[in-house]
Amino acid sequence: MSTHPDYNAMSDAEFRKIFRDWVDVNCPQHLRFMRKQRPTFDEVADWYHALNDKGWLSPVWPVDYGGMGLDAAKHIVYVEEWARLGCPRIPDHGIGLTGPLLIEHGSDEQKAEFLPKILTGEHVWCQGYSEPGAGSDLASLRTQAVRDGDDFIVNGQKIWTTLAHCANWILLLVRTTKSDKRQHGITVLLVELSSPGVLVRPIKNLREEEDFCEVFFENVRVPARNVVGEVDVGWALAKSVLGHERIFLGAPSRPEYALTRLEILARDRGAFEDAAFRSRYARLRLDLYDLGSAFERFAKVLREGGTLGADVSVLKIFCSELYQRITEEMLTVAGEEARYYDDLPVGDAGGAIDVMNLYLDSRAPAIFGGSNEIQRGILAKAVLGLPSR
Amino acid sequence: MPKIILDDPDQTLSMLRESVETLATRVDGAARLRRRRADGGDLDRDLWSEMAAAGWLGLLLPEDMGGSALGPAELAVLAEGLGRNLLTEPFAALAVLPGQILSAIGTPAAATIAQGLADGSRITPLLWQDAQGARAPLTLAGNGEAMTLSGTAHFVTAAASATDLLVLSERDGVPALVVLPARNGPAGSGGITVSSRPGLDGATIGQVTLSDVAVAQDQILAQGTAVETALQAAIQITRFALAAELAGVGAKALEDTVAYTRDRVQFGQSIASFQVIQHRLVDMWSDAEFACSAVTNAVEMLTEDTPAAAAQAVLAAKARAGDSAVTITRRAIHLHGAMGFTDECNIGLFNKRAITLNAMLGQSEDLRLEFLAQEMATKSTAA
Repeated sequence: MSTHPDYNAMSDAEFRKIFRDWVDVNCPQHLRFMRKQRPTFDEVADWYHALNDKGWLSPVWPVDYGGMGLDAAKHIVYVEEWARLGCPRIPDHGIGLTGPLLIEHGSDEQKAEFLPKILTGEHVWCQGYSEPGAGSDLASLRTQAVRDGDDFIVNGQKIWTTLAHCANWILLLVRTTKSDKRQHGITVLLVELSSPGVLVRPIKNLREEEDFCEVFFENVRVPARNVVGEVDVGWALAKSVLGHERIFLGAPSRPEYALTRLEILARDRGAFEDAAFRSRYARLRLDLYDLGSAFERFAKVLREGGTLGADVSVLKIFCSELYQRITEEMLTVAGEEARYYDDLPVGDAGGAIDVMNLYLDSRAPAIFGGSNEIQRGILAKAVLGLPSR
Repeated sequence: MPKIILDDPDQTLSMLRESVETLATRVDGAARLRRRRADGGDLDRDLWSEMAAAGWLGLLLPEDMGGSALGPAELAVLAEGLGRNLLTEPFAALAVLPGQILSAIGTPAAATIAQGLADGSRITPLLWQDAQGARAPLTLAGNGEAMTLSGTAHFVTAAASATDLLVLSERDGVPALVVLPARNGPAGSGGITVSSRPGLDGATIGQVTLSDVAVAQDQILAQGTAVETALQAAIQITRFALAAELAGVGAKALEDTVAYTRDRVQFGQSIASFQVIQHRLVDMWSDAEFACSAVTNAVEMLTEDTPAAAAQAVLAAKARAGDSAVTITRRAIHLHGAMGFTDECNIGLFNKRAITLNAMLGQSEDLRLEFLAQEMATKSTAA
């Protein structure tokens, strides 16, 4: 592992240049601006290993654990350049979820066992939170873990588990105690997917891709040493992971990319000649511009060492709904061609715009990460102080 | 609650904010608006003088013109405060717009007028718009001793209260800025006719017809491209002031609506506990937040020396703040129920004020298209 310069001591511009120059050379061209939002580990393995060899795979883990130790300001630069260069999303539940959880709450043995294997890619993680009866209402989860000697026996079902069929470990929220207060009695377990009794079944999404899964647990034995933190108090742990990273749920990169696609399509189809289209396009363009201004207001808080409040989720709502409105406009511009499922050709040079791919993809961000209705409910209470019924 | 967040290293901004709030505790903006409306007035000279005494009218003017030589950040905070407190004297149209033209021209004659503007002794509206708000044909004819000015200007702010009229005229296609005493000159020198119509926000809006009004050489303050440049720069900064004022109007209307819906009890509970009301309020809050961050962005772009970026940022800020304020206040009326439909309730005044400010110097739709046209032009130059 290489020793790092102190990135946080650099100016943002300096770090941006170093990061961009290396990434632009080392991220394979065929992986740039992939149509798949969530490629599998195998599809991007070269890029994953290249990042790890450079020591740049994990931007926020402390340096002692093999991370870059970036502060929030530099992390924003990292994410912005990543998006600007069109790098593919890597399977990042290990880097973004399990890793930080263990660093914060794990035992020394767990850290030593699991963190290095995340970096090498030996362990590929997925997130076992949602259940058929526990989506937005996550605290009602029912997958059960019962103590049996040195083990827990797990029974139940998870669903919407992204890329579980390409993972070998799952970060699992289970119920260990039935309690009147539903947030109590939940425990975080680290479970190997090859354990007897685990069945993973991929689900086709609207894009006919297998990107999320159902995961079934039938009398699965999990060693008790794989409990993270204390038994029964896992809810607080699971909620503590997203700190400043909540800002990235509202990062403008997806609508920004979609708007460039809309512009190309609209030019090719002559839509800018139409005053009504220009009006609609101008609104989308300004919404994107203003999202940038709003994002900057929260980024500035982080740059100045502050912490984000609940109000940051205004970005997630606006960003995901803007992404949808842009892709809906693409369908309008496509006209009768909106009947095609494959990409729409533009220009004479063999270019194409993935209208339907983006349209379908844009359905998801308003649902995941706490649906926009859940976010509005949180904002109503946390920011506006409105009373509960 | 949403507000325009800016760096304030030496506390200038917080002091300014405080001084607006202090004035607002003495001066009930809504009551003043209603009184002015009942009187058919176009300007509350007492309040205007107080604003002059506070240094607000000359906020941006250089010190040798009686100003405070402050910048976009201070302007944003002041205008936001006026908007929040429904202090509806025509700050943007009557202090910022003519003030910025006069200071850009910068001649001794212009400076003298600017000083009067700053200390509140002179009321100097700009005459430049036609019946639809576009450039009015105001024609300067003749030469030397025999010049006359003719034409009709609409949307004249404080026309009846004016002491001087700044007339953006044309002579043979060349712009000329002329200052006229607002009252008719000597007999036979031609006439100035002022009429007015009621404005939505309680101030009358003037129309001024000039019929062969005699003009002496020293009444021409500037001619040629300098006039056009001054006008465009003044429009930009005035739009920016309007954006900040609109952000204030929207934010305060939201706060008042949150308070009202919390207090209002139906079916045995506060109506703010109902999910449908909560989600609407959150959307209004989001609109107000975006308006404030758009204005903050414009402050930053105006402060940096990047004219093209500043132009974009101001267009975006006024478009966003205008749309937000109009939408928030309209929804606010609804959430106040039948009470919101009464003249007695202030929430309707916020909506009327928002519509008025939003309509000045370009509605949001026009500004967005202008933004797009500028950006496309830049792209095709770069390509």
